[in-house]
Amino acid sequence: MPLFHRNPRILFLAILFLAIILPWVPLGVSSNYLLRVLTTAVLYMILALGLNIVPGFTGLLDLGYVGFYGIGAYTSGLLAIHYDLSLWVILPLAAANGALWGVLLGAPTLRLTGDYFAIVTFGFSELVVLLIRNELWLTRGPMGLPGISAPSIFGYTLSQGWQYFYLALFLLLVVLVVVVRLENSRLGRAWFAIREDEIAAQCCGINLIRYKVMAFAASAAIGAMGGAFYAKWFRFIHPDMFKFWESILILCLIVFGGMGSISGTMLGALILIPLTEVLRTALPQSMFNARYLIYGLLLVIMMRLRPEGLIPFQLSRSRKAEQAKARLLGGEE
Amino acid sequence: MGTLLKVKNLSKSFGGLLALKEITLKVAPQQIVGIIGPNGAGKTTFFNCLSCLYHPTDGEIEFDNTPLATPVSNSVKKRVRISAIVFLILGFIRLPLFWSFFLPKTFFKVELFLLGIFILSIRFLLVRGLLRHEIWAWGLMFIFLLSDVCFALLFLTRLDPSNTFFLTPVPLHYIAIPWGVAAGLFGFYFIGLLCTQNVRGLFGFRTSPDAVCRMGMARTFQNIRLFYNLSVLDNVKIGRHGRLHSGLGKTLLKTRFQRKEEVAVEKEGLQFLRFVGLEDKAFDLADTLAYGEQRRLEIARALSTEPKLLLLDEPAAGMNARESENLIQLVKNIREDGTAVLIIEHDMKVMMNLADYIYVFDYGRLIAEGTPDAVRENQKVIDAYLGGGKDVC
Repeated sequence: MPLFHRNPRILFLAILFLAIILPWVPLGVSSNYLLRVLTTAVLYMILALGLNIVPGFTGLLDLGYVGFYGIGAYTSGLLAIHYDLSLWVILPLAAANGALWGVLLGAPTLRLTGDYFAIVTFGFSELVVLLIRNELWLTRGPMGLPGISAPSIFGYTLSQGWQYFYLALFLLLVVLVVVVRLENSRLGRAWFAIREDEIAAQCCGINLIRYKVMAFAASAAIGAMGGAFYAKWFRFIHPDMFKFWESILILCLIVFGGMGSISGTMLGALILIPLTEVLRTALPQSMFNARYLIYGLLLVIMMRLRPEGLIPFQLSRSRKAEQAKARLLGGEE
Repeated sequence: MGTLLKVKNLSKSFGGLLALKEITLKVAPQQIVGIIGPNGAGKTTFFNCLSCLYHPTDGEIEFDNTPLATPVSNSVKKRVRISAIVFLILGFIRLPLFWSFFLPKTFFKVELFLLGIFILSIRFLLVRGLLRHEIWAWGLMFIFLLSDVCFALLFLTRLDPSNTFFLTPVPLHYIAIPWGVAAGLFGFYFIGLLCTQNVRGLFGFRTSPDAVCRMGMARTFQNIRLFYNLSVLDNVKIGRHGRLHSGLGKTLLKTRFQRKEEVAVEKEGLQFLRFVGLEDKAFDLADTLAYGEQRRLEIARALSTEPKLLLLDEPAAGMNARESENLIQLVKNIREDGTAVLIIEHDMKVMMNLADYIYVFDYGRLIAEGTPDAVRENQKVIDAYLGGGKDVC
């Protein structure tokens, strides 16, 4: 472990390598089933990384993340059905649409503080679902949106589970690069400052509204991109898929993994999402919905034992400082 | 020598409580000016007014020949509030117009259309009158115009909801038009919002605290406000925020400019920490610092914004004799580097050692001013601190 501690890149590459060879490892269970679970986990890692920017980095409770997820999914679905665009056009367009709505929602409401902001975001996500459900002319409402074409990459149409898994992995890498770059920049520092102390941040020359809106837009864009992938992967979307519960689930992943820490967020998703499947086999059929109870129980236990999550922000931060120290002082010698 | 900070007749009241009354004060470049006074004299309120965290009720603040705040005029404020409410109501009236497009064809639309035109014209006049000379107001007007064009087009296309055109290509305007109309509605919402906020020049304006910082006025706080979960170096890097220039695009692309800036900011940050003597703690979490070190870190963070004027709010509070000796030296060094310092302090030893000029506050009023020696002899000051003749029973 000390090797990983000093150089997290090695750990990262090892995990990436594991993920890449995973589809080809002969395992007892049906490999398609396993891949499906893993792809879901990767999708939720993307979503959790996106959401993490708002409550984790900037310190604003966002209960409406699923709204952007839904916007992304429907943008992707509608674009695919009506215009049959390529995946590489759909993904950025969906992200841009998500960001646009993030700005539209964020600019007026980010002046609110704390709980009031959380309530507004909650209202927004409900609004999105209502709109999707009722605007029959656009979204077909409760009938759902079937017939989304499978994504094709360079003329090659994806069909196998492992191909989707790799696509998800690729998207995760892209999101990871974006989030890590943001975290270690002037922008990320401004977000942290806002989370730690708004007044002090203001007096350090940080424009609160501007950076909050930026965080909100970035988070919305990543969420919408996750939604776009989901629509292309599942090939059918329905308003019920974007219920409030999803927001809470993604928030749970972050709280479980460690608010504000990127590795923690991903670890949280990687543990909790497959846990659903474990519970599916462990619990009797009639009690499957009790899994939410178990999630709740798990969170309560976490709050008791490790209230800051699996990998707390402070820990990841002090580790980062150690690396900076090694880099700077090493350079001087 | 000009004046760096000029405060004229500054007053601040909270409801009926007058916290500051007609304070007049000046700071020259490279001068150390002290503010003393008993607890509750309004010293920190004064600092909050200077750094624009509070909006003064009356008076003027001029920093570096730029006015920071002009007072609120109540009559104008009321007018703007009313206009804002009118705007919001008009926005809601427009909502049924928007939805009427999706009603059956039998619904008579011409009346609604005329009503729409009427509202549009009123809105145009109101917005223009309210937001004269503001560039973003014209931007908003442009959005309105766009939405109005869409609005008109919508009538022409006669969108019929009974057709389900699902699975057939949707013409672009079917999507673009509702969006445009929605943009117009949002525009309304924004206008209403902006009007309830400060509109510069209309009723008293206040520069935002972050802009004040970027203009060159940095401050520390009486109750220390550090970013505790971040490293000491990160705290100072955040202070550099206003002096860095890489935005979202450069960060995502990680351009050479951004990388250079990041390397530079790390070095500069260490320099500022060296200046206050915290270099060896640079990579610890701010949480782990001792009290005196936290005070010094706050000063380093304020200095890293490259201020022309530094506001120190009780920097020596809770420090022992040796630490306050160091502090005196530190503030003198800051002045040597060309920064003026405005300092609130209860520790008279620190104050008499440092200040070139002292202002004395009591109950929100300026009761005395002068050089340290003159203030020490002033009868009014002695009364304020020890209780005056008649008041003592």
